[in-house]
Parts: sequence; structure tokens; C-alpha cells
Amino acid sequence: MPGEIRLEELTKRFLDVVAVDGIDIDMPAGEFFTMLGPSGCGKTTTLRMIAGFERPTSGRIMLDGTDVAEVPPHKRNVNTVFQSYALFPHLDVAGNVAFGLKYQRCTKEERRQRVAEALDLVRLSGFEQRKSSQLSGGQQQRVALARALVLRPRVLLLDEPLGALDARLRKGLQVELKALQAELGITFVFVTHDQEEALTMSDRVAVMNGGRVEQAGSPREVYEEPQTEFVADFLGVSNLLSGQAVATEPGACALKIGDRVLRAARGDTSAAGDAKAMIRPERIAVEPHGVDGENRIPGLVERAVFLGNSFELHVRILGGDVLKAMVPNDGSPAMVEEGAAVTLYLPADGLRVLAPSAAANVPAAAEDVPAAAS
Amino acid sequence: MRSWFVNPWGRPRWLLLVTVLYILWSIVPVAIAIMFAFNNGRSRTTWQGFSTRWFTGATGSVLHDPALQGALKHTLFLAVICVAIATPLGVALALGLQRWRGPGAGTVNTVMLLPLVTPEIVMGVALLLLFLKVFPGIGVGTPAQAIGQVTFTVSYVVVIVRGRLVSVGREYEEAAADLGAPPHDQLVRVLLPLLAPAIIAAAAVVFALSIDDFVVTQYLSGDASTVTVPMLLYSTARAAPTPALNAIATVALGITLLTLAFAYLVYRRFAGGREAAVAAALEV
Repeated sequence: MPGEIRLEELTKRFLDVVAVDGIDIDMPAGEFFTMLGPSGCGKTTTLRMIAGFERPTSGRIMLDGTDVAEVPPHKRNVNTVFQSYALFPHLDVAGNVAFGLKYQRCTKEERRQRVAEALDLVRLSGFEQRKSSQLSGGQQQRVALARALVLRPRVLLLDEPLGALDARLRKGLQVELKALQAELGITFVFVTHDQEEALTMSDRVAVMNGGRVEQAGSPREVYEEPQTEFVADFLGVSNLLSGQAVATEPGACALKIGDRVLRAARGDTSAAGDAKAMIRPERIAVEPHGVDGENRIPGLVERAVFLGNSFELHVRILGGDVLKAMVPNDGSPAMVEEGAAVTLYLPADGLRVLAPSAAANVPAAAEDVPAAAS
Repeated sequence: MRSWFVNPWGRPRWLLLVTVLYILWSIVPVAIAIMFAFNNGRSRTTWQGFSTRWFTGATGSVLHDPALQGALKHTLFLAVICVAIATPLGVALALGLQRWRGPGAGTVNTVMLLPLVTPEIVMGVALLLLFLKVFPGIGVGTPAQAIGQVTFTVSYVVVIVRGRLVSVGREYEEAAADLGAPPHDQLVRVLLPLLAPAIIAAAAVVFALSIDDFVVTQYLSGDASTVTVPMLLYSTARAAPTPALNAIATVALGITLLTLAFAYLVYRRFAGGREAAVAAALEV
């Protein structure tokens, strides 16, 4: 199946700013691939290089085995859905969708039929004569999709296409986009800073930071097995604990945090010395005060944030750190009161020792990259 | 009375008063000049009743006096030539300057704006010397007048079109390229249609500037056939003025106002609210 993209040591420098720093990414044909990261992480620049709007400083962009890095955008068999859609305001919907067909060999009748098909695909039949200013945001987005898909590209690039829509519409379109991709079998390369979007839609996610790929894998992999502090922090809420690895056993290690020793059975369990561990708030069990046993830490509820279906408790544990824990809103009020004494159970298989990062991979490190490189 | 003027919650009435006074001050002389174009007599100061004899009358009117007729025709001819040359040239320059990011781009930008701030008399003298000494083949006359007007009006085209270019951005061109359009098609199928309102507005401004221009056109004029309306107004104002002068001035003013109103409306209609600032600048 065509549509495979391989980026090899791809680098883009803007004057003295390195926006994309020698990344290697495999995007298998027919997959929904997402580049996720904060603004300035280089994801949009990478997408623009694949589209051909930016010329790589060095590296290769292999599209089905051919390096297209020096091919101008109008000769690449990839199409883009822009963040702001970029619908031509002087053309109606049909004119927009038919725009690119002029450059493909097809008869007038064929052209008309393909426009109708594309509009049908995005459920906009009957809107042919509308101007883009007469469409809602969601409809404009679908015209932009139809305009790109009508050309039957091998790869569809989407640059934060849902960013400008309100939350409800966004949820609907997430499902629709994913279904469309599955139906067409085209490779989708999707750029977003929204971790939830990335997790729900993608077959594969590359988490980017500071022009580099921090981690790539399936949504479950990057969420459940983050390899770096940055990935752990960027994907969802996570608790970070600093301590010392005091002993290792096969498949687990003992972490000394404050005056407690916790067993951690995930991640880099062979660590020694200063180590960091993370645990997702939903993996922490909140138990009544006084329960004792392995991997339990007493603490005080500092804040209880009501989220509707659950509470997010901020619990200050012995030793000073604040951990976040999720408690379902199932009618056990005692523990969700601020000031309540509780015991936190941090199961060993939810506690993940992080590999020490070579660089300080905190989101703030990417702030000096200009907005154009986001 | 005091509270009517000094009311912190009310409208700024002092400002309103000053504004109204200024508008009256600037409009009244023009209104009087227009009024006497319709005077039923030879006086330009004493009202003798309403008539249109200075526009369409059998003798000495705009319609039948050969000198007035010639001036009006030459003015319009120059304006059309000037629009036909300055508009495409200015659009090309605007596109080039916008895309040019190399060294020297800033300097060229400044140079492009120089004609907007250079005193016209300086430009007039300079162009006269140029056509007499450097390019004697051109000399003075209609071609020199046209070139002179293009020289300073092209800057206005550049400024107006660049404003629109900035607000349009590169995205539409990128979208066109993405859909397979080669550079020529990106320009013709996408960019030029998007720039159309600015181009039309710029053309109208050039037209109005050309009709109103006196200094450069005067300096570069040759024989009597190259006299324009402003030149005629200047030269005959001291000789034997009749209300026909007011009439031809009224015609010129009318053409200018109509052109600018047209430009403004086109711009508003097609460019939407985003370029309101540019549109407002056009009103001046």
C-alpha cells in the first residue's frame, strides 16, 4: 500500500534557531500518525517540510522510498488541510474542491463527478454554490478535507485542523476524521498539541519536544510507558516523585522517598542512586487513614477539585511532595474533604522509574523557538 | 451650559464643536466655488441667479470652449495612461518587495516610499532636468508628463497593494501549491483575485492623483495641447476668469470624488472588515 513516509535525520534551521533537530520518524502506510507536542516543538515545521513549504536544511523525506525533499510542493503527491483551512474566498465550495483537479488528467464530466463524490464523503452535498464565508467552522473544515481528498493523495497532512473549533464540534469531528481515515486507508499525518486528541485518534504518536522526538509508539505505549519525564508530563497528568533507588531485585526496585521505601515494578528498574518515578493519578488508590502495608504513604488532602464524575485530590504526603489522585464520585464523601487524613496506595505496577534524561526536557526549554516553527 | 460641555459621562462636546467648525471651515470655500459655477452671470463673486450656462452654454462653457475642452480631454487622457502603467507596475513591485527577504530589501522599501514624502516641486524640477539633459529624446510634452505622474503614483499602488498582501498572507498561495498549482497559477488563480479589491482601489487613487496633479504635470508640459485642468485653472485664474473655471473645477472635483468613492466601495465590498484601516486611509 503506498503512502509510507520515512524521515531521516531531518533538520530545519531558521537563521540560528534549530526548529527540527535531526529527527528520524517512520510513518507506516495507511496509519493515522500524530505528531504531538507543545508549541515550538517543531511539529508544524516537520509537517510543512513534508508538504514542501519548507526546504529541509539537511536530511531526507522518503515518500514510498523516493526522497522528495527537493520536490516543490505542487509536484508532491501529498495534500494538506490547513489550520485555518485556507479556503479560497473568491471561489464557492465546488470551485474550491475542483481547484486541484485542473492539474490531474480528467475530463469535465469526471471532474464534476469527483467533486460530487468528495462532497458526499464529507456530507456537504448541496453546498456546492456556497461561499466559504457562508459556512460554519465545521463545514469549512470539511470543505478543506474534501478539497484535499478529491485529489486522492497518498498522504494527507493535517495541521491542527480542529484547533479553531469549539469543544463539542471537535469531539464529533475527531470521531469522523478517524472513521474517514479507516475508510480511505490513506496515511494521515496529524499535528496537534492536544494530548487527548492524539490519544483518541492515532494509531501511532510521536511526542516531540525542542525539535526532537522524545518518544514514538502507540497511544497506549506513550501514555502507559513514558520513557522520559517530558512525555510523562505532557501526556496527561502525572505525579513525579524524586528519591533514591536503594535496592534492585529482578523486575522491580526499591525507591526511598522521604522516609518510606516504595517498590516500583515499571520502567528502568535497574536504576541506582538519584531516580525519578512517575505514577498516573488514576493509578493511585486513596484509602482511609491508618491502613498500612506495602507502598502506602500517609498524607493530608490539601485540595479537592470537583470534576463532575470524579474528584482530583491534591494530597501532601510525608516528606513534602504533593500527589494528585483521582477519586470517583461514588458517594464516599469522607475522604474528599479538604484537610482529611488519608493513606495513598501506590501500586508497584503503576509506579514507573524514569530513565534519566540526557537534557532537561522540560516544556519551557522550547519557548525560545519562534511561533513560525511551532 | 457648563454641564453640557463638561460632562465626563456625556459625549466629548468640545471635540465635537472643534470638529464641526473645522469641517465648515474646509468645506465652505469649496462649496462657494461650486456655487458660482452655477452663476447666471460673468461674476465669480456676485450671485446673479442659478444657471448651467457655464457647463453647457453655447459660448465659453466647459462643453463648447475649445481650451477648456482640450484641457479636460488631456487631463483624462493622462489619467488613463497613468493608471494603465502605474497599476501593473506597482502590483509587480509590491509582490516583489513582499517576497524579497534578502539584503537590501529594507533599503529598497524605503526608496519606494520616498516619492510619497519628496516635495513635488523637487521631483518636478528633477524630472524636468532629466528629460531635458539626460534623455533629450523624450523632452517635454505628453510622454514626459505621463512618465512623471507614473513615477510618483506608483508608490501609492505599492503601499495599498502591499497592505492587502500582508493581510492575505502566504497561506492561500501555499494551499494552491499544495493542490498542484505551479507558481504562475498560484498568482493568476489565487493571489490576483484576492488582491483585486486593492488593485482596483489603487487604480482609482492613481486616477484621482493624476487628475489633481499640478506641479509635476506643469513642469513637464510642452505646448498648449499639454495643458491640463489644474494648469488651466492656475494660468487663467489671474487673467480673465469667468465662472467657466469654477465649472471645470467642479467637473474635475466631481470626477475625483466619484473615483475615490468607487474605490472605497469596491474595497469595502470585497476586502471585508479586516482592512478597514487601509479603507479609511483611502477616504482622505
